[in-house]
Amino acid sequence: MPAALTVNLGLKNRERLINALSYALLMVAIIIVFLPLAWMLTVSVRPNLEVMKMPPDWIPQVFTLEGYAKIFSNPRYLVVFLNTTIVSLTVTAISLFLGAMAAYALARFKFAGQRTVLMFLITTQMFPLVLLCIPYFRIFITLGLYDTRTSLVIVYLTFTLPFCILMLRSYFMNIPRDIEEAAMVDGCTRLGAVFRTLVPMSYPAFIGAGLYTFLLAWNEFLFAVVLIEAWENRVLTMAIYSLMAEFVTDWNAMMAFSVLASLPLVVAFVFLQRYMVQGMTAGALTS
Amino acid sequence: MLSLKRKYRQELLAASFLWPSLLVLAALLIYPLGDVIRLSFYDSNLRSQTWVGLGNYLTLLNDPLFWRAFLQTVIFTVFSVVLHLVIGLALALLLNQHLNATFRSLARGLLIVPWLLAPTVAGMIWVLMLAPFGVINGLLSSAGLMDSNFTISWLGDPATALGSVTAMNVWRAFPFFMVMLLAGLQSIPRELYEAAAIDGANLLHEFFFITLPQLRGVIATIVLLDSIWTFRAFDPVFVMTGGGPAHASEVLATAIYFDGFQKLKFGYASAQAVVMFLVLFVVSAFYVRRAMSNAQ
Repeated sequence: MPAALTVNLGLKNRERLINALSYALLMVAIIIVFLPLAWMLTVSVRPNLEVMKMPPDWIPQVFTLEGYAKIFSNPRYLVVFLNTTIVSLTVTAISLFLGAMAAYALARFKFAGQRTVLMFLITTQMFPLVLLCIPYFRIFITLGLYDTRTSLVIVYLTFTLPFCILMLRSYFMNIPRDIEEAAMVDGCTRLGAVFRTLVPMSYPAFIGAGLYTFLLAWNEFLFAVVLIEAWENRVLTMAIYSLMAEFVTDWNAMMAFSVLASLPLVVAFVFLQRYMVQGMTAGALTS
Repeated sequence: MLSLKRKYRQELLAASFLWPSLLVLAALLIYPLGDVIRLSFYDSNLRSQTWVGLGNYLTLLNDPLFWRAFLQTVIFTVFSVVLHLVIGLALALLLNQHLNATFRSLARGLLIVPWLLAPTVAGMIWVLMLAPFGVINGLLSSAGLMDSNFTISWLGDPATALGSVTAMNVWRAFPFFMVMLLAGLQSIPRELYEAAAIDGANLLHEFFFITLPQLRGVIATIVLLDSIWTFRAFDPVFVMTGGGPAHASEVLATAIYFDGFQKLKFGYASAQAVVMFLVLFVVSAFYVRRAMSNAQ
């Protein structure tokens, strides 16, 4: 009896100690992980003179929003935000639409070649994108689509569409087909049944896949560099890169730009964290 | 007869849902792949093409720059993946303790933020921090670890360039591992640990005999996936160092880009891309096998 008691106490204490340690270590980890983000924020609100000061100050001596003003007063930067938004939203809409159709076929029907299709979809996620750049560049010049935002929408489908298909498929497969069949017995067509049962029931998968697709499109860089030339067609990631080359010392404007470029994703994440994490895990595990 | 007809109708219906996506993907992936393979046998700029047979591949075999980029890609990949795994696993284990639920989801959410940033944005923040008069040198010298008169140009020095890019990549992408491993940890049955505790197992025993074996599947999947993603990565190196100084941080993706789009040697760039594709294909085969057994 006393022996059992000490073992128990030992376990309790051990657990308490581990817990206290976990809180402490996680706080330290969060601080370390946030140092670069904090530096981005603090540089974005200080004058450029204060950026390369030794030793560095975390709190700026002079607080200024001139970095943000430079971005908002320049239509050249604003058009880049507009382009990125248009391209990302279009890619997301097309990927979800085509993806849902293909996912439905893969989840609900049995047909010859199904395994091959699945294998192909999984393999597409492994392609070196730099390999694809070379033919894309040549093909889009031939088609007269070089330096258009349309070309970006098209090529982004190479990585967003397979992901959407695979994620939606695995979600559809977990929804019993009886529900659709019941709706069909009640007089719905197959399409009607799908839109009345399967689509509304899978909204978490649509949000998750949509957010992840949006994120991939928003952050893409390589294809944009290869396929876009004129400033009025550029997207955010490219603009950031060109800014770095053009204004080597204009750090507050560049960091303000970075903050603004990351803001939509961070805000979306704050409100939809659950779906986003689901999309993140689904990409690797259920595909 | 009727069932045969029904089956045929089913296939037709399935095909009509499937073909738009497959057509798009075939046009975007299979045709270009064929085009690159064809191009790799030509000496080609934008205007002219001359058949050179295996010429580009022979050049490549004897090109020290290609092999250097290859080796550096492997180093970049191995260090990134191992550090992603170690850091991701450590944080996932911490998050999986008996924490306050709000604190847990808040901590997880905060730790994911770097993964939301574009590699270009993350790269630029690190370029600023790693500059000779940047905050990293500043912190090191105020901690007494470095002489403040002797600052390191992290990205300008061949000895530290690739390591600095790797550090940025570790910081940006570890959350993927953390999230995946946390999901894996949460699916391990509690009874396993309770039984082990009764048997007097200590923490190390639990970790090596329960946690790790139970996570093996998830770890294999994400390590393969991350290896592939990191091996083909372009943005971090291109943005932070452009492969320099003097190719000290060149990886395959940037080398191919420069050969193709700056020197306009599309044939040679294609040959390098084909070799890169073949290497990735072998690694992918393992991943596809795992993923297929999950999918069925």
